[in-house]
Amino acid sequence: MIDWTSLFAAFDLLFSSIDPWLVVVPGILIGLLFGAIPGLQISMAMAIFLPMTLYMDFMQAMLFLTAIFTGGTFGGSIPAVLMNIPGTSSAIATAFDGYPMSKKGQHNTALGIALGASCIGVLAGYGILFLLIGPISTMVLKIGPAEMAAVILWGITLIGSLSSGSVLKGIISGLIGLLIGTIGFSEAGVLRGTMGSVYLIDGVPAIPAMIGMFAASELFRLVKTKYLVEDSAARKVSARAIFDGFLKAFSYPWILARGSLIGVFVGAVPGVGSSVANLLSYIATKNRDPDPDSFGKGNPAGVVASEAANSTSEAGSMATLLALGIPGGGATAVMLAAFAMHNITGGPQFIREQTDVVYAIIFANFGQAFLLIALGLMFIPILANVVKVPMTYLVPTVLAMAVFGAFGLTGDLSGPVTVLVFSVVGWLFKRFDYSVPAAVIGILLGGMAEDSIIYSYQISGGQWSYVLERPITLVILMLLLLSLFGSKLLGLLTRRASS
Amino acid sequence: MSSTAEKKNKYRVADLAVLLVLASLVVLYGIDAYRASSDVLNLILVLPIIVMVLVLCLVQFVIELRDDRAEAPPRESVADVAPVIGLFAVYVLTLQWLGFDIGTMLFVAAFLWLQGERRWHWLIGYSISLSFGLALFFSTMLPYPMPMLILQTAY
Repeated sequence: MIDWTSLFAAFDLLFSSIDPWLVVVPGILIGLLFGAIPGLQISMAMAIFLPMTLYMDFMQAMLFLTAIFTGGTFGGSIPAVLMNIPGTSSAIATAFDGYPMSKKGQHNTALGIALGASCIGVLAGYGILFLLIGPISTMVLKIGPAEMAAVILWGITLIGSLSSGSVLKGIISGLIGLLIGTIGFSEAGVLRGTMGSVYLIDGVPAIPAMIGMFAASELFRLVKTKYLVEDSAARKVSARAIFDGFLKAFSYPWILARGSLIGVFVGAVPGVGSSVANLLSYIATKNRDPDPDSFGKGNPAGVVASEAANSTSEAGSMATLLALGIPGGGATAVMLAAFAMHNITGGPQFIREQTDVVYAIIFANFGQAFLLIALGLMFIPILANVVKVPMTYLVPTVLAMAVFGAFGLTGDLSGPVTVLVFSVVGWLFKRFDYSVPAAVIGILLGGMAEDSIIYSYQISGGQWSYVLERPITLVILMLLLLSLFGSKLLGLLTRRASS
Repeated sequence: MSSTAEKKNKYRVADLAVLLVLASLVVLYGIDAYRASSDVLNLILVLPIIVMVLVLCLVQFVIELRDDRAEAPPRESVADVAPVIGLFAVYVLTLQWLGFDIGTMLFVAAFLWLQGERRWHWLIGYSISLSFGLALFFSTMLPYPMPMLILQTAY
């Protein structure tokens, strides 16, 4: 229910002075930069600039950090489209069709579509958050470790079954990824699979592994290519085509709406949300499309589906932070630190007592979405010039950036070594038709899947019937089975009915 | 035997070998995890997944054995990729001694030369500007020191 008094107070907070807005443009630009450079993360940008918020009031600090978040979430799609390198784990599905579009010379359109879908996603996400912050927080409270484990397994199965080659190989890849994700010190207090290396005690660094598997392995395959876009006529950068692509995103209203809903609700699941939401939205769109085989080959609907969901999942994770005080990922964890620096505690009491501030944060994000449109349309034409760089120069540049970024993530040479090892693994996976995205999602979520199952085991006292008492878990597990066998079952039923 | 059939057979052997390697690695990980602790909390996820992977590998093995594709799948030449992987490996593994500044400069220059760039002014100019530009940017942005040979940090 909308609290009108707080609503007007929120407008007063935002518009009585220009001060809160002064930090938004730099925030979006920082986010765009960190999202667009492979290896730099949104959470890293927010952590680096967090000390600056000490000199801001709480409202200004939140606007600055959410602006970095918004810019970074879209920024991650730029390298995904241009180089098949998802800048963040939430942009993995963007690369599925964005990169093939770029290779066909439709890089301008793809970037424009990504920007359009992202901006609509931010608007829709915060719109849903404004209306449903209460129900979303109630839903999040009902999500326990059993549900989180089920969501992770669902995500892995879905992405494995997306594989363009063998579905079986896709699922094997996802499961192997999960195993890699469990390497290191386990929740049970034992060391596994470290081969005596101290660098693996905390597990395989997931983001450097992702950079290696996606980026470096792809660059190895492109060594003999002259340009990212083979056709010289299609290699031009056109602000007009980017703008047309931006408008084209609006021609997919149902995909945008579905992606936004998936983004908010799945994005609200702590830790898992943004990585899985873009995949779920992509798969839902692919399955409902009259030509599902065109996905993965440069279908614009794939970019829309992924970007709508990943930008909306920002609102979902903000719901969890504001309503429950639980950070869903690195970026919201930094925001929680900003809360603490300003002596504010997120949670039901915060929502109840400072509704005006919550509304102000939501409305500020509406404003940020429009600023992102302007800044995106200004900066994408500069960044899109990547297609004009010969591969001879682009390959070593991106490899070097990946190595620097990986060092930035781990703080020691284990990051660059992880990039090296997983670049070879990724190249071998691609060569032998195993699914790289499935393995990456497995690596990202393996540790969390194990923790969730252990907590469920401890809560239930080892009784598997506990799962039967969790309706949400059962629904997710049924969806998992349906996504695996649904189409075959439908085919079987249709054949029987027709015979 | 025709060259296509020979290639197809070679690829099939490679595919089966990859499956065997994956299954072996998974089994080795399982043994290591079991040796570390046979407690249910340690094996609660690892063991079921290992069993699933092994079953799926077995099914895939049978599928690949029975596979009778008319053509071998297109794959890029290993000879094209191997030198690049080798160069990248040398770059990463020598960073500790060469530092990010000089290591990156040598890697970029060697890569350009390997790919046929013979214009010396481009080769030297680009490798120096890229490596020092990246090194300066990251050493300024990151909150911890980076290994460098020329640029001074407290590493």
